[in-house]
Amino acid sequence: MTVTTPNAAMSVAGRALFTLAPVTALAAVLWLLATQALPLTLSWVWIPALDIELAFRIDGLSALMLLMITGVGVAVFVYAGGYLSGHPDQKRAYLLLGLFMVAMIGCVTADHVLVLFVFWEGTSLLSFLLVGFYHERQESRRSAQQSLLVTGTGGLVLLAGFIVLGQTVGSYRLSEIIVLVPTMEVTPTLTLAMGLILVGAFTKSAQFPFHFWLPNAMAAPTPVSAYLHSATMVKLGVYLLARLDPAFGEWPLWVWLLKGVGSVTAAWGMVLALRERDLKRILAWSTVATLGTLVVLVGLRGESAALAVGALLLAHALYKAPLFFVAGNIDHGAGPRLIDRLGGLRRQMPWTAAAALLAAASLAGLPLSFGFVAKDVISEAKSVGEVFTFARMANTVFGTIAVAVAGITAVRVFWLRPPPGAVRQAHEGGAALVLPPLVLGLVGLVLGMFPLLAQDLLAGAAMAMSPAGAGTALTAPLDPQPDVGSLLLGLLFGATVFLLWDRLYRGLEWLAGRTGRIGMSSIYERTLAWIPRVAAGITRRAQNGSLPVYVAWVLASVAVPLATLLWLGRGQWTWPAAEMPSAGLAGAASLVILGAVFACLMRDRLVVLLSVGLIGYGSAVMFLFLGAPDVAYTQFTMETVFVIVAAAVLLKLRRMGLDRAVPEPAWRPGALALSLLVASVLTALLLAVYATPFDPVLSEFFGEQSVPAAYGRNVVNVILVDFRALDTLGEVAVVVLSLLAALPVLQAWRRRARTPVAGGRS
Amino acid sequence: MNSRIVILAVVARPLYLVILLASLWVLLRGHNEPGGGFIGGLMAVSATILWGVAHGTTAARARLPLGDAVWPAVIGLLLAAISGVPGLLDGEAYLTHRAWTLAFVSVELKLSTVLLFDIGVYLAVWGALAGYALALLAVDEQEQEGGPA
Repeated sequence: MTVTTPNAAMSVAGRALFTLAPVTALAAVLWLLATQALPLTLSWVWIPALDIELAFRIDGLSALMLLMITGVGVAVFVYAGGYLSGHPDQKRAYLLLGLFMVAMIGCVTADHVLVLFVFWEGTSLLSFLLVGFYHERQESRRSAQQSLLVTGTGGLVLLAGFIVLGQTVGSYRLSEIIVLVPTMEVTPTLTLAMGLILVGAFTKSAQFPFHFWLPNAMAAPTPVSAYLHSATMVKLGVYLLARLDPAFGEWPLWVWLLKGVGSVTAAWGMVLALRERDLKRILAWSTVATLGTLVVLVGLRGESAALAVGALLLAHALYKAPLFFVAGNIDHGAGPRLIDRLGGLRRQMPWTAAAALLAAASLAGLPLSFGFVAKDVISEAKSVGEVFTFARMANTVFGTIAVAVAGITAVRVFWLRPPPGAVRQAHEGGAALVLPPLVLGLVGLVLGMFPLLAQDLLAGAAMAMSPAGAGTALTAPLDPQPDVGSLLLGLLFGATVFLLWDRLYRGLEWLAGRTGRIGMSSIYERTLAWIPRVAAGITRRAQNGSLPVYVAWVLASVAVPLATLLWLGRGQWTWPAAEMPSAGLAGAASLVILGAVFACLMRDRLVVLLSVGLIGYGSAVMFLFLGAPDVAYTQFTMETVFVIVAAAVLLKLRRMGLDRAVPEPAWRPGALALSLLVASVLTALLLAVYATPFDPVLSEFFGEQSVPAAYGRNVVNVILVDFRALDTLGEVAVVVLSLLAALPVLQAWRRRARTPVAGGRS
Repeated sequence: MNSRIVILAVVARPLYLVILLASLWVLLRGHNEPGGGFIGGLMAVSATILWGVAHGTTAARARLPLGDAVWPAVIGLLLAAISGVPGLLDGEAYLTHRAWTLAFVSVELKLSTVLLFDIGVYLAVWGALAGYALALLAVDEQEQEGGPA
């Protein structure tokens, strides 16, 4: 699957150099935890005008996330060294993964919500680039686009939520928001902010109904799936919810939304896993379900629930990443990942099989694994917290199918007899492919045997999720008591689903065949197909290639809204007192009128052009008499240049035989009506402007400051070159750039004119 | 050349100089009297077009600074952009202009980054619009000289 080109492959040293990045980050995090007292705050001035600071705050929850990001990061970088070995774009993968790690670190340490948002969008963007890593495959590109559209749109909704929240609360600091919100009344604005933030978090963490993008993101290379779409990025939504839980935790709406949506996701995600044959997609659905469970746990009250969130976050990172590595080893060493073509791989891939067992034991929640500890804390949280029946049922479905998924990934493909047509040739990968899953699995085993090792870390995280003020330390030690009865029952159910996997698959397929294509995924597809159709329809009508139609559209879209606004504000203007215009002004006005009438009556384009020029000259004369010589000058020169250039074009057209007289418009009454509308709207606008008292602040400022501040008596010029110099610079840049863009076209035209075309039209 | 109007060719030389000088005058006095870089640049464009109509676009292009339209346009843009840097170096916002008065024996010369900015605008407008005009005229010219294809 990898393209081997000797000169493009990275050297071992190069890979090691890239791997240094997460190793350094992990060392820094460990040093931080060992030496610094949490919470640790840092801040730099970033955008003082908007009061945005690069504010960071590292507390227990951040520390847990940081450890996962950097720890799993090391494993992922090592694994990518083996998995993408020889791929010409391996360097790109490393670079993107490194950037992603930075974005994640920023996200989980940011205290200012807008800083958090910037890093949040960074992870979405990098996820897009990494899902599309195999950009030559259409499936990758489509999945990348889908993940970007879902999480990127969610990110924008989140931004809106952050801004509403920040403006309502009066602070953009997370640490202040969670203190202030519980003291505030529940207002519709605050509820709106909460809803928007929930949408953002739910899209990121693939909660129902935004769950469909995550399995499709499996088009990414396996190290990416293990890192972004299981261990870290998709946890960001849960992280944000946990962060804000102290703020909104007492709101019934928040609690019920988290419990409801999380439960649906947990159960439905696991059921959808039954419809998959691809190992990676099965794992992806179980990730979706785990994220749902995490959301439910955030929604539960009580400190044991907070502890459970931390425990499940950690446990999931420690078992799901290795399972993805196992799936990657299988497609690397055996070829396909479809479970119909796999079996008995333990002989060829003994180390991978061992790693799979370690990780799957944790997924199934067997004793001595860290997953068991997590499961125990979760059941304790549920016994304390107020859980409704549906959430309990959802959790049962989740636990049962989790055991079955563990069986599929660790037992079926490695230990059961290969089905007919299975792959015969398979080989174990190198150390870079085998060590990461084994080490992560072993860490899980050690933590499972000695859960007290993780006590401080998880207690710190739980503290951060507790409401401010209720800083009771979590003293209850992590000491799981095996409840043999429920454990055995769970395993029994799980084993049943495992044995019936293929039958359930067929049953679900039959059901799906009966119900047809309903579901979020097809709604997404239909929406996506609908957008270009609508856009094309509008474009066909609005831009049909006829210049008069374009002009009509432009005029109408200016005149109609203006007319509406003027109508709404009618009655505020009066006719100005009539006064006799000076002879010069009257002359200029008659020039303009003459030009306009001629332009309407003439049919020869050159004559029309000259008539239009007359309008320009007339208004220039008007400016001259109204005391604006600058504007008059510019108008004169501009008009001259315009008429000359346009005349050159017209002459050229005439020579090409394209200079037909202006045709009689087919829609003369319509054109007349539009012209009358535009004219009356403009007149009314002028009257309205006259009725409003003139606010002289700006002109007085410019008049007063022109000489002392800018040493110039010509106010117009001073405004152009000094007060508003940046605008002028921008305009000049546009003029020059447009020339640079137009020159090649004009020169090509010239070259074509030079080469005589046989039988060309003349 | 034969097809061109002789009178125009004869008049073009003095007129060209007069218009260019006038455009420079308008440019330089612009800060205190009506004028400025933009209007001066437009006047210079009309001088170039005049030369182009009288003597052909190649000759007109050769008369532009550095012999082409793109150079003055780009250099003008750069000058305008650079003129904002001194203000930046003094810790002010970009494009905050600086002014100095240089005293020679008996003459006081007032210099400022504003002038640099205005010259930049002048060159950019001249180059860009002259570039457009000459390119369009050139297309027309070719048709005329090549006759009907």
